[in-house]
Amino acid sequence: MKILHISDTHIGGARYFDKKALEHVVKESKKGSYDLLIHSGDVTQEGKKRHYENADKILFSRLEIPYVVIPGNHDKRSGGIALYKEHIGSPNGVLELEDSVIVHVDSGVQDSDMGRVGMIKFDMMRNALRKYHKKSIKVVVLHHHTIPVPMAGRERNVLSNAGDLLDLFLKFDVDLVLSGHRHYPNVYHIDGTVFVNAGTASGKKTRYGDANSYNVIHVDEKRLSVETRRISGEKDVDKKEYPRHEQRIFFDFGKRVFRIIHVSNTFISTSNIFKRRHFFNAQDIINSLKGDLLIHCGGIVKDGIPKDYDLAQKYMKEFDLPVVYSPAGRDINYLGYDLYEDHFGDIDQDFTADDVYIKGISSAQYDTPEGIIGEVQRERLFYQLNQRDESFKCIFLHHNVLPIPHAREKGLLEDSGDFLREAVDEQVELILTGTSSHPFAAQVGKTVVVNANSLSSIYQRSLFGNSFNVIDVYEKVLVVSEISSLWGTRRTLGIWERNNQSEQ
Amino acid sequence: MVEDFPKFHEIESPIRTFISKRVIGIDQNTSVQEAAKKMVEFNVSCLMVVKNDEIVGLITNDDLKKRVIAKGRKPSIPVKEIMTSDLITADIGISVKDALETMATKNIKHLPVKEDNEIVGMLTFSDLIDVQKQKLETHISRE
Ligand SMILES: [Fe+2]
Ligand SMILES: [Fe+2]
Repeated sequence: MKILHISDTHIGGARYFDKKALEHVVKESKKGSYDLLIHSGDVTQEGKKRHYENADKILFSRLEIPYVVIPGNHDKRSGGIALYKEHIGSPNGVLELEDSVIVHVDSGVQDSDMGRVGMIKFDMMRNALRKYHKKSIKVVVLHHHTIPVPMAGRERNVLSNAGDLLDLFLKFDVDLVLSGHRHYPNVYHIDGTVFVNAGTASGKKTRYGDANSYNVIHVDEKRLSVETRRISGEKDVDKKEYPRHEQRIFFDFGKRVFRIIHVSNTFISTSNIFKRRHFFNAQDIINSLKGDLLIHCGGIVKDGIPKDYDLAQKYMKEFDLPVVYSPAGRDINYLGYDLYEDHFGDIDQDFTADDVYIKGISSAQYDTPEGIIGEVQRERLFYQLNQRDESFKCIFLHHNVLPIPHAREKGLLEDSGDFLREAVDEQVELILTGTSSHPFAAQVGKTVVVNANSLSSIYQRSLFGNSFNVIDVYEKVLVVSEISSLWGTRRTLGIWERNNQSEQ
Repeated sequence: MVEDFPKFHEIESPIRTFISKRVIGIDQNTSVQEAAKKMVEFNVSCLMVVKNDEIVGLITNDDLKKRVIAKGRKPSIPVKEIMTSDLITADIGISVKDALETMATKNIKHLPVKEDNEIVGMLTFSDLIDVQKQKLETHISRE
């Protein structure tokens, strides 16, 4: 199947809309032997009647192939959704096309630039995926992005329940998730699913000097490729290709190279928010696991006060393996910033072992749960990583870089889009985070991203109970397991082939 | 990856969303002892047996007990001698209800799952129960 994926045409006045660029796209749709065109929203600039009429005249009526279109936030301005329905049709739906299915959902909120997929639409999507899950190509179309995209500034994730959507797409083995909105092309491959953001096809508001662009997507039995073509401009074509079938059975691990114990949100204090029994059981289990390093992704204490810090220092000393820390906002609150350094050392810590380099980066800010790394720090971080020769590199921080199921966006790093993009491009092998208290692991490109549940706080969201993760680095694979704090029972969160392996 | 236990209203839903999609295997010539170690290390109750990248069988906790220990066989024998090679599999599209029924009637606790004739995962009865058990434990352990 060959799909022409366009987005953000912003049909309107000449200030916002480049008619020539759209003309180029329409011509491409005729000569490229496409099976389908998908428009991921912001058809019009302002959702006005004359814009819709124009959209029909210069775009939709001229298409000779089937197409799927959804509204974007601009199409819903000034009550434009009624006009959308009148001129274009239903904003949500399911298209069955031979052996493929396209589930398209309006993720916009009237008169707002925010996105939301509420319960009803979420159920609609789930039901559609349930019904058509045996189709060989499953595509979902949403205007707003699910995965943080680079160059998005503070708009890291406009879909507040992105974690649940990500979980849904991965569970149903969706092949493609197509979005727009950011006017900046981007592609991520996460486990078996490819998340594609299109640039703007004909809007004049392009970002960072990029040209107007569209995506050409090929899917066959074995491969899925995404080609971003610029309509003008120097950087002409970016092409990414992915295998469609992931390895499922792992039997040859090689020797174990390194074992990381990954914990978060211990909330050590005299308060009953801290579950002492869970903490001490977990401590015994961890000491018996003979790990090489314990990484604490923050939320060490309940509050940044001397009483909690003294207790935390006393308890943390009982681990009989090296420990490195990265703070959460609560750790550096009140007097926390100074207490942290006195009790646990530098804000940014690292660890080196034979061929292993592990680097912490502080994402916390005092007095707020929101996290950010910042451009200067990020640059320095990747510069430092690039100086290192170790073949296994890991970054750890408190805030999430992927949306986490059952959690809202507030734990997500503000600049997660830029951070994730760079880490994936640099093929950092492992990123460990510890917000939102829900265990989660997925591979983005060649980077495995793992989030830890709370080890010992009453605030946790997993049916499995409080837990921590063990990351076993073998010569050939990386195995991520979750272990219950109280009982020590173990389940596998994922197994992935390592970077150094041949599969590309 | 063990997913949540299916809620009762989801019992008709396909097993696709409940299976473990990354499964641990072992080469057919590996010793039974090595297999047992691997099962202990990863806390799994069965392993897929692989021969030249092809799945040729399955070994479970019960096999170790019944076909090795109870029979007084040595732990050094290769897993291919005790594995189950006639695999009962399920299609990824069947409902949880049907999968559980298959497991009950065939008296098996592990169901390799196929999509387009290839094994893509595993539905494990004890894993499902385990999640349920954990849920219970979470309630019990409230402080
Ligand atoms: Fe737009
Ligand atoms: Fe938009």
